[in-house]
Amino acid sequence: MPKTLTGTEREAFLAVLRADLGADAVSDDDDDLRTYGRDWTRVLEPAPMVVVFPRSTADVVSVVRRCAAAGVAVVPSGGRTGLAGGAVAASGELVLSLDRMRGMGPVDPRALTVEVQAGAVTAAVHAHVEPYGLTWPVDFASKGSSHVGGNIATNAGGVKVIRYGTTRPWVLGLEVVTARGDVLHLNGALEKNNTGFDLRQLFIGSEGTLGIITAATLKLTRLPGHLDVMLLAVSDLPAVLRLFEEARRAPFSLSAFEFFTDLCFARLGRHRGLSMPLSTHASHYVLIEVEATAPGAVEAWLGSMLEGEFVLDGTLAQHGTQARALWALREGISESLSATGMPHKNDIALPLAELAAFCADLERVFLERWPGFEVCLFGHIGDGNLHVNVMKPDGMSKEEFLAHAHASDAALFELVRLRRGSISAEHGVGLLKKDFLSYSRTPEELQLLRAVKRALDPQDLLNPGKIFDVEPA
Amino acid sequence: MKILVPVKRVADPDNANKVKVSADGARVTSEGLEWKLNPFDEYAVEAALRLNENGASGEKLGEVIIVSLGPDEVQTTIRQPLAMGADRGIHVKADDAELDSTVVAKVLAALVAQEKPDLVLMGKQAVDGDSNTAGQVLAELLGWPMATFAMAIETADGGKTLTIGREVDTGVLTLKVTPPAVVTVDLRIVAPGSVRNGVTPDAHKYGEGARYASLKGIMAAKKKAIDVRTLADLGVTDGAVVTYTKFERPPARTGSVRFVESAQELVQRLKTEAKVL
Repeated sequence: MPKTLTGTEREAFLAVLRADLGADAVSDDDDDLRTYGRDWTRVLEPAPMVVVFPRSTADVVSVVRRCAAAGVAVVPSGGRTGLAGGAVAASGELVLSLDRMRGMGPVDPRALTVEVQAGAVTAAVHAHVEPYGLTWPVDFASKGSSHVGGNIATNAGGVKVIRYGTTRPWVLGLEVVTARGDVLHLNGALEKNNTGFDLRQLFIGSEGTLGIITAATLKLTRLPGHLDVMLLAVSDLPAVLRLFEEARRAPFSLSAFEFFTDLCFARLGRHRGLSMPLSTHASHYVLIEVEATAPGAVEAWLGSMLEGEFVLDGTLAQHGTQARALWALREGISESLSATGMPHKNDIALPLAELAAFCADLERVFLERWPGFEVCLFGHIGDGNLHVNVMKPDGMSKEEFLAHAHASDAALFELVRLRRGSISAEHGVGLLKKDFLSYSRTPEELQLLRAVKRALDPQDLLNPGKIFDVEPA
Repeated sequence: MKILVPVKRVADPDNANKVKVSADGARVTSEGLEWKLNPFDEYAVEAALRLNENGASGEKLGEVIIVSLGPDEVQTTIRQPLAMGADRGIHVKADDAELDSTVVAKVLAALVAQEKPDLVLMGKQAVDGDSNTAGQVLAELLGWPMATFAMAIETADGGKTLTIGREVDTGVLTLKVTPPAVVTVDLRIVAPGSVRNGVTPDAHKYGEGARYASLKGIMAAKKKAIDVRTLADLGVTDGAVVTYTKFERPPARTGSVRFVESAQELVQRLKTEAKVL
């Protein structure tokens, strides 16, 4: 069990940290504590004891060893764009920010790899490798803030998963500082390495509970050629799925198939003052990005979609500026939901075959039990990932809303369980979803997860209380 | 009104394949570049469409003809305005290297003689060469009235007179021109209320910016005619008067990005190292 240090014990501990790292790498300033004590979630109030800013793996080792000796919990902190409370420090922990470890090594254009420190910003990695015609295909709306370390620790998904998969396949090697302060170099830059358990995979998606990722060797891929981006209007969710089936068969390679509802767009429009570039109003919109090799293939396919009444209306970006503007409609949603109200976010995955039936159930449940709650749906439908955002009704208190949200989560996750989905597709479990983990993981699995945690972090000091509690409740 | 809208394709500056200078410095290379419609020309297309339609009912009030000069690929550039709603296109075949503002203006003057439009509506400049001269030279060749940098166009009599607002340093200068005329447009011409044709009800709300091509528009554009002409067809035989002697990249930035860890450190370094405070 982690200890909460107070009074002279706390002062002595901070003094040791300052001596180790330098005074400018240790902060217990109120603003820093508030900023670095949380991610994008606003459910829990941040209350860490201190924030440290190591500059090197050696610094991280020294901090972790001090924490282990003092019994202080460590919350690793990246770009703090998480949506599950995985980086929230709410009970006197030490926050270990990777902000100052953002170095990027030379690109190896033959092996298609680059080694970076965990604090490298995702978009900076993209810019770093772009001159070689390469990219690290982990891409989502918060790429301008999120860190590579956080991407890996959460096995981040995003908008290109349908083409490239999640973060996991794009990580070749990891450098990890363990709870004891050992430094592990896992897999280096090897494509092939069948020498027993691949420990690297344990840390990918571990949400900071098994070790602190300090550096990674990333696998890169060729930048795609010309990408066509289109926004299409359809009548309902089954129509979204019918269109997806058609797109799968079409003569191009899909790199994104995203959808959002008119409720999402209405909030984006209010927040950003944007108008819909289509003259037909519809309840569901689909953004598709494709790489086509045959000229005219996209237009011909769109023509057949219009003629076959798969779509009501749509537009095909005529140039890069329009393509980016269409993307902004999709990528701006999450921020606009938060800017125009208080969303309760869920990020679930379902087998594609169950998606339509699930959404019908969802609508029915909300209509029956929480009428008047606005449910904003969007997501990466191509990989079965739905973002279900329940908005706080105006005039309802935060506490009352959260109580409703908790109850509606239980109902929602019951539907997810029935259809063999996941309660967290890409955001992770963090603090916010851990009460519901059993909807996606069996008791046998949970027992194994706890055994792994105990083996790697016997004192339960690394991001304690995230994903699950070590002792079953 | 019959409106002629000249358009140019320009390299997309945000494209992953950046604009490069050839090794001998004689030209900017276009290999691997993605092209887009010059933004100011796109605004001119939008303004022409708004002048020639009832925005509420969709009824057409006149013809919008798109013209572009260049190799065969510019037909792709012409298709976009056609997909937005323009009626037909004219492609004047030419090598980019043969063209400058004067040649372009002569070609346009020859086309004006054939097509007899009421208005030539064009972007104030192309964002590649930034010359900002083709419209002015054309007006001179035709002896037509001209209004540049238009940010508002209004007519109440079906286009017999146009009231043009143009941005100047001290505010907005209002001109009245009697077509036929040449008008070049600036960015704000695509604000929601910038074009008033006396037919579209004031209550009709245009979006901000140029319209997107709808799927129906894209399909319809494939069937719209693009006439192909050559410079010789139009009697333009004089070469370009502007010759380029050398292109070079701006000097590389010296120094590198440095991160400071506090505002105090930033101020200190600006004082002692950069010596700008």
